Amino acid sequence: MASLLCRGILMYPPLLNYAAFLRRKSHVFYCTMSTTEAQTATQGSQSTQIKISPHRKKKGLDNILKDYEAIIGIETHVQLSTLTKAFCCCLYNYGSQPNSNICPVCMGLPGALPVLNSKVIECAVKLGLALNCKLNLKSKFDRKQYFYPDLPKGYQISQFDVPIAYGGHIDLDLPVEFGGGHRRFGITRVHMEEDAGKLLHSGNGSYSQVDLNRAGVPLLEIVSEPDMRNGIEAAEYAAEIQRLVRYLGVSNGNMQEGSLRCDVNVSVRPIGQAKFGTKVEIKNLNSFSSVNRAIDFEIARQALLLSEGQDDQIVQETRLWEEGSQKTVTMRKKEGLSDYRYFPEPDLPGVTLTKDYVDSIRNCLPELPEVKRRRYEKMGLSMQDVLFLANDVNVAEFFDATIAKGADVKLAANWIMGDIAAYMKNEKLSIDEIKLTPQELAELIASIKRGTISGKIGKEILFELMAKGGTVKGMIEEKDLVQITDPAEIEKMVDKVLLDNPKQLEQYRGGKTKLQGFFAGQVMKASKGKANPGLLNKVLLEKLNATS
Amino acid sequence: MAMASRALLLLGGATPTNHRRLLFTRGVATFSSSISLLHAKLDRVIIRCCSTSNSPSPSSSLEPPDVPRLAATARISLTPQEIEEFTPKIRQVVDWFGQLQDVELQTVEPALRADTDGDQLREDVPETFDNREALISSVPSYEEPFIKVPKVLNKESE
Ligand SMILES: [Zn+2]
Repeated sequence: MASLLCRGILMYPPLLNYAAFLRRKSHVFYCTMSTTEAQTATQGSQSTQIKISPHRKKKGLDNILKDYEAIIGIETHVQLSTLTKAFCCCLYNYGSQPNSNICPVCMGLPGALPVLNSKVIECAVKLGLALNCKLNLKSKFDRKQYFYPDLPKGYQISQFDVPIAYGGHIDLDLPVEFGGGHRRFGITRVHMEEDAGKLLHSGNGSYSQVDLNRAGVPLLEIVSEPDMRNGIEAAEYAAEIQRLVRYLGVSNGNMQEGSLRCDVNVSVRPIGQAKFGTKVEIKNLNSFSSVNRAIDFEIARQALLLSEGQDDQIVQETRLWEEGSQKTVTMRKKEGLSDYRYFPEPDLPGVTLTKDYVDSIRNCLPELPEVKRRRYEKMGLSMQDVLFLANDVNVAEFFDATIAKGADVKLAANWIMGDIAAYMKNEKLSIDEIKLTPQELAELIASIKRGTISGKIGKEILFELMAKGGTVKGMIEEKDLVQITDPAEIEKMVDKVLLDNPKQLEQYRGGKTKLQGFFAGQVMKASKGKANPGLLNKVLLEKLNATS
Repeated sequence: MAMASRALLLLGGATPTNHRRLLFTRGVATFSSSISLLHAKLDRVIIRCCSTSNSPSPSSSLEPPDVPRLAATARISLTPQEIEEFTPKIRQVVDWFGQLQDVELQTVEPALRADTDGDQLREDVPETFDNREALISSVPSYEEPFIKVPKVLNKESE
């Protein structure tokens, strides 16, 4: 269910597109406000005030943005869906009673030693290969030291100078409604590390609360090259990472639960300038659309400051995306570079991969989203269809199974994207929770194609199959739904309808030919929807136009 | 350098209060005057000081410690008196370990950890730690179901 509902930006493109348009507009509006108003609007949590000089006031933001380009890189943390934590046997379940899944290892008690979960390496190799990375056959863990109450050991076990995978790329297709286009973004590295616990700040109290259930849960951090140029590209990059980890089965990729977390780096520079602008990090991005909007806001903020000559107002800092006010606000300034004092983790042996091991994983990789999309495209589906079907691995599998049963490709796509998707959305079900099987969908499509049932009846059967299950054949027999294709039988029904409606017949013959639809409806009703529509209309027309 | 930091960490671990425990005790007023906390603070500053990932200095002696900065990166507040008291002690320890810089290591393979046979991995099979009560009771400040810590808002890293 989550996978379909989480589709987010792809699922409601027209709406979002519109929202984006509105935002653009409101920026322009914002810029043309009087200076006083603009200052009021930027006050509050924002430390820098955007002053708009008179000669710039008329110039819209879009105009300003034309002169600048944004450089965007993303760090993504993917929480692995292993049963146990990375270095101890504690179970991890999102939403468990706080501090229930803990042990001396993940609490960082003296003397406790970590032992690596083999599944973590498997997931890392899978993801590394899927991201077209090179693998370090010998990598190691390092300690990253920092002090924070959600990190009981005082350091995080991570990988520093030798990550398990590096130098890859990811391919994706931008949604049609955002202009479409294929993109390839570089992947700098993928490394293994452990998650910290959860720190909750009590509202009024002078203390904070720590839940260590999440401490030690395995993560893969994916660092992208700074290849993205706007919010949509970044959001689509994140969506493709989510798709990939779900296809691979290494994570549920759920952003709301924090299983997929994106930290975004944005810098803006005048077009033509070789030197990069000041890099600003944005955190607290809980959905793809917030990735998109936060970046576009941040680009606009930085471009506006640069265009005003206020370069010094852009500082290297971490900013938080505020969903409520739809803007980024300063979280902390970076005072010099972080000093993590990395050194090799002495408590864990190095991580060695054999060629055989890597090959065995490579051979078991599923068909990945990009390959699937290209295959669907070759089958003649439109890009809109391709993106919809390949978005959710379960939907894609359902579609593949349906056409494997011989169903027409375009018809199968239409049924899945139309009535089936609508039903799933209404009932909040995922495609593997509905009772309809690919086998029966194929049978339904075939039954309509060969004329056994009408399309209208087919639709009715579909909803029963999705809700209750069963077979198309069984349902046709049980309900006597076989289409009426015998002209004599249809003639009989037409005669009766004409006889029962003498007034309308007179009007029709008097020139009100629009009434044909009324008669057709009456006959179809009399046949309980079973009359073959083509035949019905043919017979009906003959009878209506016959000079009696 | 790696050798030295490893050794220093061992040294740290051997002091009465393990630095790992600090998280839960730090900032609690009743502890601030206790000798164990002083030890612990010293401990952490030394670790910060010596486990540097910077390239080793070419000379045989190590950089003299900048105690206020080390304390800041270790998230410890030190009084001026403490800084004055710690500085020579830390310098002494650092100098002592600085002697290791004189050892000729160019031809020696780095030994980061004890070598072990096999891959030392475990299966992804859950096991419940059966003495959770003891774990919880060792937490200095616990309020069901959370561990209570001093309020911290500015996070250094994820
Ligand atoms: Zn544990």
